Amino acid sequence: MDRMKKIVLFLEWGSILGLLGCGLWVFLWTPLEISQGFPQKIMYLHVPTVIIAYLAFFVVFVYSIAYLWKRELMFDQMAKASAEVGLVFCALVLITGAIWGKPIWGTYWAWWDVRLVTTLLLFLIFMGYFLLRMSINDRDKEARLAAVLGIIGCLDIPIIHKSIEWAKGRTLHQPSTFFKVETGEINPSISDVLSDPLPVAIFFMLTLYLYLLLLRYQIEKHQDELYQLLAETQD
Amino acid sequence: MSVFFYTPVEVLANPSMFENKTIRIGALVQRGSVEWDAQDIRLSFNITEDGKKNIPVFYDGVKPDLFREGQGVVVEGKMKGQRFEAVQLLVKHSEDYTVETEHKKTKEDYYKSIQAQ
Repeated sequence: MDRMKKIVLFLEWGSILGLLGCGLWVFLWTPLEISQGFPQKIMYLHVPTVIIAYLAFFVVFVYSIAYLWKRELMFDQMAKASAEVGLVFCALVLITGAIWGKPIWGTYWAWWDVRLVTTLLLFLIFMGYFLLRMSINDRDKEARLAAVLGIIGCLDIPIIHKSIEWAKGRTLHQPSTFFKVETGEINPSISDVLSDPLPVAIFFMLTLYLYLLLLRYQIEKHQDELYQLLAETQD
Repeated sequence: MSVFFYTPVEVLANPSMFENKTIRIGALVQRGSVEWDAQDIRLSFNITEDGKKNIPVFYDGVKPDLFREGQGVVVEGKMKGQRFEAVQLLVKHSEDYTVETEHKKTKEDYYKSIQAQ
């Protein structure tokens, strides 16, 4: 077995067992939150998926710039793989958010909540990113245009992050639990027993992301190698 | 800001502008103002920002689980004279997450506590 396969297998089983462990921790050993009760548990799925979606699109941002700079096909393959995984996580963010919103806010969705709408925008931009890729036959042109859209699309992330502040709290979303806007301090207003599983869940969501990213990248690499080979034999 | 929601002070400052128009108002539920008729499924309460000026809200619908006095709410509906007739009632929650001290509530306790309300 080569090294890459070992890493992928390790990440696969690490994430499965880790996330299962987090599930047990959250449902069996974490007490209920006082005002929300049971629905609060979806936080341990919602928050990690948000962070990984941000990370995945940030990776797209970095590899897109790297591609435009070096014109290395591998950079484009990584950007594409990360965008695909990011899109899945972004969809999960919207779905888990809606499931959480219904019992707590009283609605799945509100068009006037800036964070909801800007997150949907991020999802749509990266849907468009794949439509763009599919519509171009020239491999280099595809990589070039996708890199530009990928970079622009990622600029939505700081907007999502700052949206609640910019809307001056006129949103359904509450201000940040972990970072206080007024003081700029890290002073979490969450009990330790409730926040303890979060970094662990984020870590295993990260390994899941890396697992999917590596798998997807390998497929992408082999596909491009195959097309190259086909093009050469036809000449 | 108006695309998000108005506050009671903004609405009361200019009543003619809002009369019979579908708007959203975000505010706090005034303490001691909640009347819940479980028989006819009718909820009424006052919303306020500062505890002084308030708008009476009438809502024909189920009282949400997290609806409490002092809680942040967003109501959508129309001003009819002095009163606000809501068609949608949304509840905001704070960024604070806490557990009851020395008491680890289970799921069953939680559902019992809801039914008791």
